[in-house]
Amino acid sequence: MSGVDPKGELRIVGFLCNWCSYGGADTAGVSRFKQPTDLRIIRVPCSGRVNPLFVVKALLNGADGVLVSGCHPRDCHYSDGNFYARRRLEMLKRLLSFLGIDNRRFHYTWISASEGARWQQTVRDFTEVIHRLGPLNLKREA
Amino acid sequence: MSIEMLRDVVKKVLEEVDVVIGYTEGFDKIHTTPFFIDTPEQVDELIWNPTCVHNLATYLPSLKKKVGVVVKGCDSRTIVQYMQEGLINRDNIKIIGIPCKGIISVKRLSKAIDYANIEDVVFENEGKITVKTDKGDKTVAMVDIMPDKCKTCQYPTPVIYDYLIGDPIKSDKPQESVYADIVEFDKKTPEEKLQYWLKEFDRCIRCYACRNACPMCICQDSCIAETREPHWISQKLTTQEKFMFHLIHAVHLAGRCVECGECERVCPMGIPVNKLKRKINLDMKELFDYVPGINPDDKPPMYTFNVDELKIKEHKIG
Amino acid sequence: MIEIGFLKKENLQAFLKELSGRYSVYAPVVEDDIVSFKPFIEGREICLDRPANLSPKSVIFPQCETLFSYSFLKKAENPDKVDVKLEEKMDFRDTVIFGARPCDAKGFNILDRVYKDSDIPDPYYTGRREKTLIIGLACSAPSPGCFCVAVGGGPADKEGSDILITELANGYVLEPVTEKGKAMLQSSLIESGQGYLQEAQKKQEDTKQKVKNPFTKTGKPQISQKIFNDDGFWERSLSKCVSCAACTFLCPTCYCFNITDEARLKEGERIRTWDACMFFHFTLEASGHNPRPTKFNRFKNRVGHKFVYYPEKYNGVIACCGCGRCIRYCPVSVDISKIVDDLSETNPEESNLTSNGGKA
Repeated sequence: MSGVDPKGELRIVGFLCNWCSYGGADTAGVSRFKQPTDLRIIRVPCSGRVNPLFVVKALLNGADGVLVSGCHPRDCHYSDGNFYARRRLEMLKRLLSFLGIDNRRFHYTWISASEGARWQQTVRDFTEVIHRLGPLNLKREA
Repeated sequence: MSIEMLRDVVKKVLEEVDVVIGYTEGFDKIHTTPFFIDTPEQVDELIWNPTCVHNLATYLPSLKKKVGVVVKGCDSRTIVQYMQEGLINRDNIKIIGIPCKGIISVKRLSKAIDYANIEDVVFENEGKITVKTDKGDKTVAMVDIMPDKCKTCQYPTPVIYDYLIGDPIKSDKPQESVYADIVEFDKKTPEEKLQYWLKEFDRCIRCYACRNACPMCICQDSCIAETREPHWISQKLTTQEKFMFHLIHAVHLAGRCVECGECERVCPMGIPVNKLKRKINLDMKELFDYVPGINPDDKPPMYTFNVDELKIKEHKIG
Repeated sequence: MIEIGFLKKENLQAFLKELSGRYSVYAPVVEDDIVSFKPFIEGREICLDRPANLSPKSVIFPQCETLFSYSFLKKAENPDKVDVKLEEKMDFRDTVIFGARPCDAKGFNILDRVYKDSDIPDPYYTGRREKTLIIGLACSAPSPGCFCVAVGGGPADKEGSDILITELANGYVLEPVTEKGKAMLQSSLIESGQGYLQEAQKKQEDTKQKVKNPFTKTGKPQISQKIFNDDGFWERSLSKCVSCAACTFLCPTCYCFNITDEARLKEGERIRTWDACMFFHFTLEASGHNPRPTKFNRFKNRVGHKFVYYPEKYNGVIACCGCGRCIRYCPVSVDISKIVDDLSETNPEESNLTSNGGKA
């Protein structure tokens, strides 16, 4: 599952909020900004929907990196979803390094619908970091 | 504090409630067991000594009657946390608090006496215990056989009570010592830490004793670790699934764990389950200045937010 | 031909290593103070001083077993047709369990009646069981909570073992119980133990005297129908239970299982895992109804199964070996022996149990 596939891609999962970040990724696409194809997007209504366990389950089941992106704080489409997200994801980031999983594999950020260029840069940078860190290979059988 | 004082108070409380939960002798001298009292005659079987290790507050949310409960300092934090989350009705509970100087860890004591069979236990003064076994007598110091939570206890006197049996005790342990072992562990290399956790979780048998003994785990029969819709973890017994189960447990207790230590005490395989939760608690303290189970008017940090989080800085990639 | 064997203490590791050449050897390995039955690798520290936390049940009846795996196959020429490929792996190796206590060994006999000696034998269990040899270890002292003598067993009971070992000061006396066990004594590391036999038997008898019998009124389990059916009794005795499964999973005689299909997109497995009647989900029906909704019902079933229903079906044999693990490791020290004692009925007419004391 994890590991380098023939095209040299690693598995990066992205949780994007429907209103801002998914729109931002869409803007990047419409403007034909080139990005690495390792990242696969899962659309959620709000970054507040992201249960920290989603990130953990992704990493434990073969993902090499996880990116979560939502609206900027104070600009959440649902007013306060991303405030909760910020607290939860910060808690998770600190917990990951305690477990021995490099916490650079998990990144959360705030990208709005108009920030296509910023989205492109984020994906490029994050993919590069994951490639530098290499595959995670966390799937273990008993 | 004397056992007569406790029994008198319990007799009085029994007139106002349907049941009082206390401790009584278990199957041998180092094991006590929770005791549900509903008649005055049973009160004479109540005991109190350092072998009273259980957190009796864990029964409160499921008992829908008027209850009296005997609590130590750490257990009382559970009650405060329940109040913060609205899980109990404070008016239906009578809290009998006992200031506590520390309890034993059955695992450590058994090891100290080389797993001999215990015939009697005497609690001496100056924090010593003499254990009479079938292989002879042995005296150990309490401080050597306490669980870790007692060695750094900040709340020896219950933080909430209706009756206090005995004089309040002030903590003589420095604040920094509480999470010193977490800070120490975090200094290891990532590879060491990962190998440590994989080795520990590999021993797990998914008996769910830690989950069921935890006072804050109230989902119990609806736990997502057992549901199939959605299918969080499978029944396969791989290290990966066990790792996921323990993370589910720890993350659901983020900012709610009162560090009563029951999870680690009940694990039949000796896994340091409490470490993960205390790490999260340390983060909660650093980020949000929050300590679980102290102030009934607090809100658990994962249930609330601030528009401006001064301690959360935006991260850079890599 | 050696009839009774003797193994010097310093030769123990070498003997286990010799066995691992022919068998897959499971021994009580100690790691971080936890003793459990693990595959023996040379150099691993063996602990025979106290019983393992987990019984060796998982060697013959694994906690998680893949019954078969399946995958869906399609061919490009005919994409509408989906073939299913089933794969079953039943290769069982010759195994030796070294150091099982008599209570653990008896546990396998309890499972045998259900899985092996029945009309429809379980091929997975039977396949492993027939290839497994058990070298039992007589206890030198009782463990906290144990009560084997009260349920038809004993600290040196031979039932279930192929060889019984008794530990003496400088070595182990090996008494063969079966022909298979006798054949194992023909090793260069084993000398004749005939001279030590009497000492071993005396030690066994001494230990037997030390084991506590918790059934003060009746000497053996004899359950009163009236009290058993009184819901109030169960509510009073079990209020403290937290409904986990520690007692079930550590028990040498519990044998319930659950079958689940773990599916991924194009492939999956059907696995069998241990289940516990102490869980709420054990009897939860698809409609949402649960015939045993409270922990009181569930524990009543647990006691009933071990001390009433199993003996009724299998000639009075009690499905509890008295190892005491459930008592030692219970988070709240629920004591099943005390509960059965509280259920005692001195008049056999009023009791549920067909009384023959528990011996098969």
